[in-house]
Amino acid sequence: MSLKNILENWSAYRKGAEEGGHHQYEHQWGMAIDLDLCIGCNACSTACYAENNLAVVGPEKFAKNQGMYWMRIERYWDQMDEEFSEQGASFLPMLCQNCHAATCEPVCPVAATYHTPDGLNAQVYNRCIGSRYCSNNCPYRVRYFNFYSYYESSWPAPLHMQLNPDITVRDKGVMEKCTFCVQRIREAKDKAKMENRSVRDGDVVTACAQACPTQAIVFGDTMDPESRVAKLWRKHQVHRGPYTQRKPKTDPELRGYRIFEELNVDPSIMYLERVREEV
Amino acid sequence: MSEHRVMALFNDFDEAFHALAEIREHKVKGVDIDDVTLLSPIEHPEIEEVLGERPIHVQKFTFFGALFGVTFGFFFLAAAQASFLVQPQGGKPVIPLPSNFVLMYEMLIFFGVWTTVFAFFVLAGLGRKRDPMYSEKVNIDQVAVMLDVKPENLEPIKALFKKHKAQEIREEVVR
Amino acid sequence: MIQEKDINEQIEWAKINADVMRSLENPRMAYWVAVIICLLMISCAVVAEIYQYNVGMGVAGLNNPHMWDLYIATFVFWIGMSHSGTLLSAILHIIHADWRKPIYRFAEAMTTFSLMTAGLFPIIHLGRVWNLYWVLPYVSDRGIWPNFRSPLSWDAFAISTYLSASMVFLYIGMIPDLAICRDSARGWRKKLYTVLSLGWRGDDRQWRNFRKTYLLLACFLIPLAVSVHSIVSADFAMSIMPGWHVTAFPPYFVAGALYSGCAAIITLFVLLRYFFRFEEYMTLPIMEKTAKLTFAIAMVWTYLTLIEFASTWYGHNMYDKEVLIAKATGPYAWVFWTMLFCGSVVPFALAFKRLRRHMPTMFVVSLLLNLGMYFERWMIVAPTLSLAHEPHQWNVMWGSIVQWAIVFGSFGWFGLLFLIFVKVFPSVSMYEVKEMIFHRRHHKDLVEIMEEHEAAMHHRKGGDKPGLEGA
Repeated sequence: MSLKNILENWSAYRKGAEEGGHHQYEHQWGMAIDLDLCIGCNACSTACYAENNLAVVGPEKFAKNQGMYWMRIERYWDQMDEEFSEQGASFLPMLCQNCHAATCEPVCPVAATYHTPDGLNAQVYNRCIGSRYCSNNCPYRVRYFNFYSYYESSWPAPLHMQLNPDITVRDKGVMEKCTFCVQRIREAKDKAKMENRSVRDGDVVTACAQACPTQAIVFGDTMDPESRVAKLWRKHQVHRGPYTQRKPKTDPELRGYRIFEELNVDPSIMYLERVREEV
Repeated sequence: MSEHRVMALFNDFDEAFHALAEIREHKVKGVDIDDVTLLSPIEHPEIEEVLGERPIHVQKFTFFGALFGVTFGFFFLAAAQASFLVQPQGGKPVIPLPSNFVLMYEMLIFFGVWTTVFAFFVLAGLGRKRDPMYSEKVNIDQVAVMLDVKPENLEPIKALFKKHKAQEIREEVVR
Repeated sequence: MIQEKDINEQIEWAKINADVMRSLENPRMAYWVAVIICLLMISCAVVAEIYQYNVGMGVAGLNNPHMWDLYIATFVFWIGMSHSGTLLSAILHIIHADWRKPIYRFAEAMTTFSLMTAGLFPIIHLGRVWNLYWVLPYVSDRGIWPNFRSPLSWDAFAISTYLSASMVFLYIGMIPDLAICRDSARGWRKKLYTVLSLGWRGDDRQWRNFRKTYLLLACFLIPLAVSVHSIVSADFAMSIMPGWHVTAFPPYFVAGALYSGCAAIITLFVLLRYFFRFEEYMTLPIMEKTAKLTFAIAMVWTYLTLIEFASTWYGHNMYDKEVLIAKATGPYAWVFWTMLFCGSVVPFALAFKRLRRHMPTMFVVSLLLNLGMYFERWMIVAPTLSLAHEPHQWNVMWGSIVQWAIVFGSFGWFGLLFLIFVKVFPSVSMYEVKEMIFHRRHHKDLVEIMEEHEAAMHHRKGGDKPGLEGA
């Protein structure tokens, strides 16, 4: 039976990402983050903590870089302000890029991280054995490991009531990361199915996009040509696929780029460069 | 008709070698070199040559074991991958040949080694009860020549061994 | 007088048996002290591991970019150590270098035990050890398989193949010696050896098949050993991290493995020679040959290290270059320069005959070489993680006491296994030392006798093949 399966589907099973891969995508969830709109308020990060039951590890462990911030605001300075060293930072919201040729996927020995037909980079907590190879191989360093058990320390007595029932609380020894709020995607798909329609743009809003006061984050299906995110991608001439797109830098309107695109991981998040004042 | 088993222990390898050579030359009628078992403390490819062609079959097992390992490896991996389509892709095909080759290589060696060992145990006759005539001296520094002979050949063969300064001659009735 | 011959050709064979058998009996005080030290070291690791198991991987000091640290470095170190024993033994067997014969047994034992130590580390470092068996390709009713693309599952295949193959190689090569032990042992040893020697009596059929089997296994083990360390290097080389994604890693790892393995052989050589009075078997000329080999491998390793730096430097990938510069100048610089000093400068001590024949010097030098090789593995793992693509997650981390305790304990574990081995199994191959002596003494005579007999037979029988008639 297996032999028959191999022989019949041989050519399909031999297709890599360059030829479209084996997956037939239903959706390709993606984002556009406008860095010009980002004010670095960390609302997205907070919303993520609330939505995804992220453990609060406490100051000592956080200082040791053992925190669990799926969505983080990175700060970079072009030049140091001598007097106010904190001033003048650029902000970069960094979360899992849900790459289509993700480097974390093939290295997992137990197939705990895999690619869904939604174009998501899913993490199966139950299957994870904690070899942490995926995190080592992630150029964005957006995978977080449960170095300890936090379910007692992070949500003492009444606080456990605020946990999101749609998503698990992870125990020690498990890798976790941003899922593009997969529970919200699931809910929207179920609802659409009940109403006998396909998922519309705007049905799914991730917690970070919802919380962003300046609406810097736009989330949607990049496969749906009419979605806001797809329009943005088109407008800034950013496309899916391996790194072949060298845009002319001359047009200041084309601000779109994907981080570490040159590594050919095909990330799903387009960033819009901050508009800088010419001196 | 009864048959006797004779074993002669030699101190000197050269003497054992001469004795074997004489058996080979049919100095004793009716005793053939193919009946002789040589027991030695070390490998003696040179002395074994005088015993004539005695085939070794281990390598055939090895060959087929390795061949089985590599083909089984391929089909096992491919079947597992083809029936587990949600496996992590990372932009790679479902059945990626380069990484499967690595594992097929390991399986070739794994099965090759174990069939070789299995064949060795069987073909070398290991794991059987030792002959009561076994002498511990063989494991120190003496060479023994052992063979089954018909009663009429018993005395001539013992004489041949004695001529070549056998240290000790043991005999028993086999059947 | 300087000893020039590899072995004294006039040794009585019975004396060889007696000398080696003596090493199995009546352990001295020093032996028990060593056993107790090893047990204490192991208990350090066991306590640390229980603590880590109960509390979580965080107690090892691991953090976000440093998901791997000393556990993986130590894993690579022990795997590397396992390479010399079997690989050298197999290569030297195939090229008929008979000076391997007195020293290969303990080298192969070292292979097996360092593999058994190495195998512990991927297990220790797992976040959820209790689910370890998910890495194995067993048939599950849920239709779930491990991911055969992952270098970690290649590791699982490669290590289990290598461990079983090298154990079998060690065991098969030991059967004739176990028969010797069986003949002279008493009590529980008698029973043990009787079972293990499988009724070996040394007849020509056994020897013939033995010779072929041993050769075949040696032929399998050479490519296997090379592939195992290549696969271990694939853990790094298959990733896209700067400083890991290096095409030259497989040969570089294999050279490093041989290097640290040879150094470990020298260490154990000195210890066994001293404690078991094996001066007649583990002779100075054999030590010299081993030292020369180590020197050659050290130069290969140095070359490959420099090549790696050069290709990074001229490859001009900014991430790779940054990691390289950080290795040499950053917080890990002292480890990096110690590694280069121990790995590339110290081996020049092996170039001097006077030093090669001086056991205490060789002991210290071999330990230094292995220190360098340990640091090399550390310098492969840590700097890349501390300084990869994403600047926000740059971080320097030094492992916690828990991590060091487990690493420390692994040396005790290896030591204990080795101590048990030398008292239960003959650490010098008796039958092969005899062979070595026999061939050096007799080979020429035998050829003459053969020719004489062939001539006589041709003369009498007129060239007919004898033995086919008269049966």
